[in-house]
Amino acid sequence: MNLSNSSISEINKLYKNKELKPSEVYEEVFNNAALSESIIHAHLKLFQEEGIAASKLSDARFAKGKQLSQLDGIPIAIKDNINLKNHETTCSSKMLSNYISPYDATVISKLRNSGVVFTGKTNLDEFAMGSSTENSAFGPTKNPWNPQHVPGGSSGGSAAVVSVGSALASLGSDTGGSIRQPASFCGVVGFKPTYGTVSRYGLVAFASSLDQIGPITNSVEDAKIIFNSIKGHDPLDSTSIADTSIEIPDDKTAKVGVIKELMEDGISDESKNEVEKTIKLLEDQGNKVVEVSLPLTKVALSIYYLIAPAECSANLSRFDGVRYGSREFGETSYQMMENTRAQGFGEEVKKRILLGTYALSAGYYDAYYGQALKARSLITKDFENIFKDVDYLISPTTPTPAFKFGEKTENPLEMYMSDLCTIPANLAGLPAISIPTGLSSENMPLSVQLMSPARTDSSLLKFSEKLENLISFDQRTSLLKEMK
Amino acid sequence: MKKDIDIKSVAKLAAINLSEDEEKKLEKDLNIILEHVEALSKMNIDDEEISIHPLGETLNLREDISSEFLTHDEAMSNSPETEDGHFVVPPSLD
Repeated sequence: MNLSNSSISEINKLYKNKELKPSEVYEEVFNNAALSESIIHAHLKLFQEEGIAASKLSDARFAKGKQLSQLDGIPIAIKDNINLKNHETTCSSKMLSNYISPYDATVISKLRNSGVVFTGKTNLDEFAMGSSTENSAFGPTKNPWNPQHVPGGSSGGSAAVVSVGSALASLGSDTGGSIRQPASFCGVVGFKPTYGTVSRYGLVAFASSLDQIGPITNSVEDAKIIFNSIKGHDPLDSTSIADTSIEIPDDKTAKVGVIKELMEDGISDESKNEVEKTIKLLEDQGNKVVEVSLPLTKVALSIYYLIAPAECSANLSRFDGVRYGSREFGETSYQMMENTRAQGFGEEVKKRILLGTYALSAGYYDAYYGQALKARSLITKDFENIFKDVDYLISPTTPTPAFKFGEKTENPLEMYMSDLCTIPANLAGLPAISIPTGLSSENMPLSVQLMSPARTDSSLLKFSEKLENLISFDQRTSLLKEMK
Repeated sequence: MKKDIDIKSVAKLAAINLSEDEEKKLEKDLNIILEHVEALSKMNIDDEEISIHPLGETLNLREDISSEFLTHDEAMSNSPETEDGHFVVPPSLD
């Protein structure tokens, strides 16, 4: 049995039956990390001593039959923009290379109380801005399926560790696709919950009206277990929503809409083909699949690249060399700030801060930021109208499978286009999940994305589990086998 | 609407000291992005309402009650320079 590919519920059963100990699973995932890190560089930090200690405490709980939860003794990796007390939170930026968090994010407190064993912090594009981890100040993560290809981003490290088995699951953050796109590129499941269902307290803010924490896992069931553990209203996050969920009745077959505009130009034949294959599986089970039109998906990228940089320029103004982070010399406070930000931020982060500053500046605010907010409201209404007629929406997760390093670094729009299918769910705050479906001609993973109305996360996960069983994608990267 | 970006003045507003090479590269990239987002300005959506929360929720603030969180020392533990519990910065005026 390959433990690192097993489901959380299977492992929990083995723990409870005393057929397996948390420290044994931790040892296996740590060994996988030790083997794979020199090639894929997915972790920025491994918590070896702490991991051994936490897994032994979990051993003791199971020995006494006193497990804290289904996640007790499960090794989980954390994206390095989420605060874990007494550990670095670098956001893969030189700006925060020495930052030690004095507190736990709410999601971390919840997982800690569930008995989770934290394996380490994972690599990302600097401040979660990017789609390939090529923007990490500490070097990129490589795709475990083929190290010449990117793992996606920004949660590329979190997706790669699950794919290669150096954690059973991970947490990522998703602002425009940063959980789903890397999950798709690495052949694992990535779930972005409804905006506000999971607290952002302790997540280093990029674009506050779009950011959402979620799980990256081997299966939809695992995503559901983690989501149920981390969700819930949090008074420490003013955008957190009340614990009200809406169910989509599942006593009959579902009606699924395929988004016409995400099956047209700009989407590769291979990505479209996965959606078509999945539609056939759904129809064979009696589900109704209809074509729907969301014309504003054509401008979703434009809306996103005004709102996200505007919010980022405000959020990242806190990095001024005074309260935390690095500091460069300057004769005056302002010169110190200008020099600190010049040395501390990488090129993509500077680009987005400048774009946001411009879009918010006097004379341009209404034309850029204001107009983008209005267009965002429209796209949200379009989704609401479409969901009057269909239960779920389906599209490719990404326009192409994982691309090669350097392939999209020349023109910023080419890189941004890789989030074409994922951005609309962030704009409307909807839950969305990426489920692996097959392999490309170059043996790289491909996926489909499902979306549903806001607050229907549980129904979306239930329906995704059914679909996952129909797809039965069981391929794994052979990287570790080749190395052993 | 679109005018080419004045990179020097925007960098000043953003408090980032750019090198000449960076100015050139970023100016080019930003103009490509601004050209792309131009499509939005052609949309006739003046009457549309806006919402900051994507689900249209109002932001819930906590009761204004003090509670234990970080100590003074913990809150300042990541500062590059402190003295007697205060942040130290260079002079604010030239």
